[in-house]
Amino acid sequence: MTEQGIPAKVLEIAEGIKTMRIRGAGKIARAVAEALKIAALEYGGVKEVAPFKRYMGKVADLIIATRPTAVSLPNAVMYVLSSLHRANPGTFEDAVNTVVLTAEKFIEESINAVKVISETAARRIRENSIILTHCHSSVAVSAITEAYKLGRVVKVYSTETRPFYQGRITAKQLLENGVPVVQIPDSAVRYVMHEVDHVVIGADTVASNGAVVNKIGTSQVALAAKEARVRVYVVAETYKFSPTTLVGEPVPIEFRDPTEVVPDSWLQKHPRIKVLNPSFDVTPPEYIDAIITEIGVIPPQAAILVLMERLGWALDKIKQGGLTKIKFEDYTE
Amino acid sequence: MERELIKHGFKQRYTGSEIVFATLDALKEYSVSSNEKSFAKHLLETYEKIIAERPASAGVLNILRVVIESFLKTGLQTIPSLITDLRSSYEKALWAAAEVACKRVSKGDVLMTSSNSLAVRRFFAKLREENIEVEVYVPESRPGLEGLLLAEYLEELGFNVNLIVDSAMRYFMKNVDKVFLGAEAVAANGAVVSKAGSSLMALAAKEARVRVYVIAPLLKFSFESVYGEMIKLPEGGWDLLMDDETRNMLPVNYAARAPLYDVTPPEYIDAIATEYGIFSPQAIPILLKEIYGSYPPTISPLPKLVKQLEEVYHI
Repeated sequence: MTEQGIPAKVLEIAEGIKTMRIRGAGKIARAVAEALKIAALEYGGVKEVAPFKRYMGKVADLIIATRPTAVSLPNAVMYVLSSLHRANPGTFEDAVNTVVLTAEKFIEESINAVKVISETAARRIRENSIILTHCHSSVAVSAITEAYKLGRVVKVYSTETRPFYQGRITAKQLLENGVPVVQIPDSAVRYVMHEVDHVVIGADTVASNGAVVNKIGTSQVALAAKEARVRVYVVAETYKFSPTTLVGEPVPIEFRDPTEVVPDSWLQKHPRIKVLNPSFDVTPPEYIDAIITEIGVIPPQAAILVLMERLGWALDKIKQGGLTKIKFEDYTE
Repeated sequence: MERELIKHGFKQRYTGSEIVFATLDALKEYSVSSNEKSFAKHLLETYEKIIAERPASAGVLNILRVVIESFLKTGLQTIPSLITDLRSSYEKALWAAAEVACKRVSKGDVLMTSSNSLAVRRFFAKLREENIEVEVYVPESRPGLEGLLLAEYLEELGFNVNLIVDSAMRYFMKNVDKVFLGAEAVAANGAVVSKAGSSLMALAAKEARVRVYVIAPLLKFSFESVYGEMIKLPEGGWDLLMDDETRNMLPVNYAARAPLYDVTPPEYIDAIATEYGIFSPQAIPILLKEIYGSYPPTISPLPKLVKQLEEVYHI
């Protein structure tokens, strides 16, 4: 036990998220659920419902503060805490059980999500399809591989995805799975689009209006697809849906270091050239045919439904103060 | 630094206009240093090389037509002066088209352009000359990364340059007032063949209601396309995107497809700036009729001329 009564293991997980030792939306979300479960099991205070809820609120605040921009993190916290709120447990034991069971359920669902999404997405792929994907998304790779196993995929175009070439990871993984892949530069997206049957892409964040925030270039891919009447599917776990966008907070788009695009020596030689390196862009919902989640296929415009289902009670709190301002401690009583 | 850029597939290639000049210069040298038969051979070699490497280069195909036709008619005698004339008239046409395009720019405009077209460089030089200050977005333009060269040139001219990855064209399009593109060829229906990614830029521009201008002297018009001939678009593989070392780190069966050009449909182009003025892409045939007296203009198909050349000189 530490000074605040928060178990050391929980603090260790929080630290891991903060220092980015724990990375990737899925891993972060599961680590959070695990931390909440540990916190409940190792609670050392008065064995009554009210102080336990207060304590869980404190743990939640601590975890949320580690990386407020990672969308899966607050979603995992709210998933567990809103169930505690909804269950309205009569005894201390019930309260602990609720947290432990919900956390376990969240972890299990999260692990299963990729599988469920892949199976669902594969059903949407027609026979003899050519698929185009952008960047690297493990869910997209899994979904395409699943469709390939069903004998529905003849070829995949994978974009290089400058500046970091994540497309090479996609190409490598698909080749390992036996899927035929052709890599193209990002500039060739429209050139090949007339051959393509489906675009399958992952998401970094899904906003409440159904807009999808993903790797820079995604919106251009979707635009070229729309022009060619090619269907665009986004594969995303429900914890990628951002609750804060509901209160109008825009998803921040990070501009990253110019040296990711050109070598430092080139920059030194050309001090008056500005290299602008946004890492994400926003694809409007009207360019997306469906978002495929582990709870099913939804039209992007219905993204709000996922948020309400998953977060319920916590949404009101977000509406009142935004994510960073809510104190879960105050609301768990 | 070169090495580090080569890792990413940086490669300096002739632009559509530069290859016109390079071809003219090489032919002129041959024309003064060789006899008729060996000049005929050079012409054939040049033709075959262009067909293999730059089949979309309407500019070179058009000058070859003029040179071969004249050579067949009057021999080597008049070729050097003909080439000198072609060179200076193309140089003039480039500047004239650039000047026309300039008139479409207002002080303070934000522009986006692509690749490293000579026509586009002339256009920016003209803007500088007329003291029209602009801000420019330049995508790096893969394969080849010639966007870096254009960015360097624009920096030298003193414009505010923003270099972006090709994927970020749509992201920044909302900040842009006008798009200016060069051309490898203009087809009979007004479609424009230009550096890969141009059609994506034009599409993003159309979506954002940004005007798209192409700067192309009439030498870039593909006369072959009038008769239904498809303009051939060359493609490369992984070697246009990385060096050997990078390739070796990827799986053995890794494959890539890197088109060098793409086709922008006429409906995405607001106007083409030529040495004769600015025209809607669909109106280019009208312009050609004015110049040549008829449409389609009576031209000799290049393959026929080449065959004649082979026969006459027994090559």
